Amino acid sequence: MSTRDKVAIHKLTTGVLGLDEIVGGGLPEFSFNIIAGAPGSGKTTLAHQFVFANATPERPALYFTVLGESAIKMLRYQQQYTFFDPSKLPGSIRFVNLSQVVLEKDLGAVLAEIIKEVEKFNPAVVVVDSFRTMVRRSQGGPGEIDLQSFIQQLALFLASWQATTFLIGEYAADELRDNPIFTVADGLFWLSQIAERNSVVRKLQIVKLRGQASVPGLHTFRITDGGLQAFSRTFGLSGHKSKPPSQRRLSIGIPELDSMMGGGIPEGDSVLVTGASGTGKSVLATQFIAEGIRQGESGIVAVFEERPQAYADRAGSFGLDLETPQKEGTLLILYLRPLDLSVDETMNEILDAVKKIGAKRLVIDSLAGFEMALSPGFREDFRESLYRMIFALTGIGVTILSTVEVDESFTEFPFSTYSISFLTDDIIRLRYVSIDGQLRKILVIIKMRGGNHSQDIREYEITSKGMIVAGERLKNYQRLITGIPERVNRSGEKEELPRKSKVKSKT
Amino acid sequence: MARRLFAEEAAADGTSLTTRSTILRVYEKLRRSLCALAGVAGFRSLASRALTLAKAEAPSLRAMQVAEDGSLEVCGETELESDKHPAEESGIILLAQLLGLLHAFIGEALTLRLLRDTWPNIVFYDRDSGEREQHEHTR
Repeated sequence: MSTRDKVAIHKLTTGVLGLDEIVGGGLPEFSFNIIAGAPGSGKTTLAHQFVFANATPERPALYFTVLGESAIKMLRYQQQYTFFDPSKLPGSIRFVNLSQVVLEKDLGAVLAEIIKEVEKFNPAVVVVDSFRTMVRRSQGGPGEIDLQSFIQQLALFLASWQATTFLIGEYAADELRDNPIFTVADGLFWLSQIAERNSVVRKLQIVKLRGQASVPGLHTFRITDGGLQAFSRTFGLSGHKSKPPSQRRLSIGIPELDSMMGGGIPEGDSVLVTGASGTGKSVLATQFIAEGIRQGESGIVAVFEERPQAYADRAGSFGLDLETPQKEGTLLILYLRPLDLSVDETMNEILDAVKKIGAKRLVIDSLAGFEMALSPGFREDFRESLYRMIFALTGIGVTILSTVEVDESFTEFPFSTYSISFLTDDIIRLRYVSIDGQLRKILVIIKMRGGNHSQDIREYEITSKGMIVAGERLKNYQRLITGIPERVNRSGEKEELPRKSKVKSKT
Repeated sequence: MARRLFAEEAAADGTSLTTRSTILRVYEKLRRSLCALAGVAGFRSLASRALTLAKAEAPSLRAMQVAEDGSLEVCGETELESDKHPAEESGIILLAQLLGLLHAFIGEALTLRLLRDTWPNIVFYDRDSGEREQHEHTR
């Protein structure tokens, strides 16, 4: 069937930040949906957000309350959310209490009451809260219509009356099977909250949605003053086209290092700078950002271990001005340190910042701090989440430089304690080395996915002007990467490493 | 507010006097509106609480009770009247308690919206509007 022959399904906004993208652009009009989950998972709030976003005086919303939370208390609490617009009551949103009918009569009478109200108000949106308590009351006695028949008739009627419907229920995961309501439903929204150590993680899943593709999997959501806010696993970038690979190289602001990398970092790459504490990872990262700003490329620094002011002050001590670009709006230093953070929320913040200033460069300093800022439940998925985040950001052309601390070992040469090397296109390894009774620093380019790079092991210093790669490659040593090299006596060659008397170490 | 509702209903009868039937009519309108919102049981519990509070102020309400369906049952002919509280005052006290409870639970804005829905011919202004409450007969 050609596109022209297909019926166009109008999509309604869910009223929930981030959820429209997850459901594939909005909720199909006239669909019959279930919102399921445990008590306190946000079912009623989600329904309210949808209702307030879509109800109009011409096509109002009918909100049937049944036995659960009393309507008065529901209004008392729900009006605390910013989406709650009292001017919509009762003209655009009408609450109808069905408790008496449910308590005293059977499902047939309940159906008749719903039909009566729907015919009277011609609503565009119908909510039954809680549907579960309503059907629990049904005893299935003689003469009563059975549950399956009730659901079928209700779904048919509401679809015919062009209403988009939500039935809210407290269901457990094992009730998904053999329940007629889940068979009839066009859409099934599953909300859950899982306690992990001292934190709670809220997840949302679109188990089923007829007529359009939704983003699969479990999506993090939060309940804030504004109601639910959902964070898509694809970070809202599923519909974006990846930027074609660029041939451009971005300078790090350290000429010798640029040369070692064949002219700089390929645009859109993910670079990992790894090394022990004090080796200068943050300095390198700051120089990368500062150089970008100098060249007119906006940047974002996501810090987890120190506050933005401290970060900017430290950059200032290396002659790098991060204050002015912040004032001019070309640099944002994001401090992301609340515990219970999810990667998706972090990503949301970073993406907002990228869009806000059109950032081309991003520094994550550091991955260890990032991981610590996450809720324990998210730490297990850190690598997978990081992969999705880096893939999404580099896909839109942002060049990412992440730092990660590794334990300095004098017998091994680990790239990263997180086994996340596969996430990166390029790896720069910094390390301490013991030479001539001094603890000096060397760097090496471990990998560059986008092309050739120098194989040299070079010595560098952290000076008052930042990182400076000094001298030629260290030719007269073996086992440099162990940190305890051995001098090699080459024929006719003498070791020419200058002894450093003043090395300012600032990281 | 309660006084205004009674005055409005009395005016509809073409009188300035609030009679027992006026009181019951105001209460009944509110009952129907709130039962649709909160259910019969929800309204009955609110009304019972309001009546209990009102009885402390107006002992003449002692003979009244809230029926199963939330309606007001008056036992006898003269219970609403007393030297201290004429019928009008007793009715106002009861209604004021009921509106006060609503205000406490759902706030002024929503309470006024419910009243506007029940008495569409009265214009209510909340405190935020910065205007004095006033009647406006649109018919």
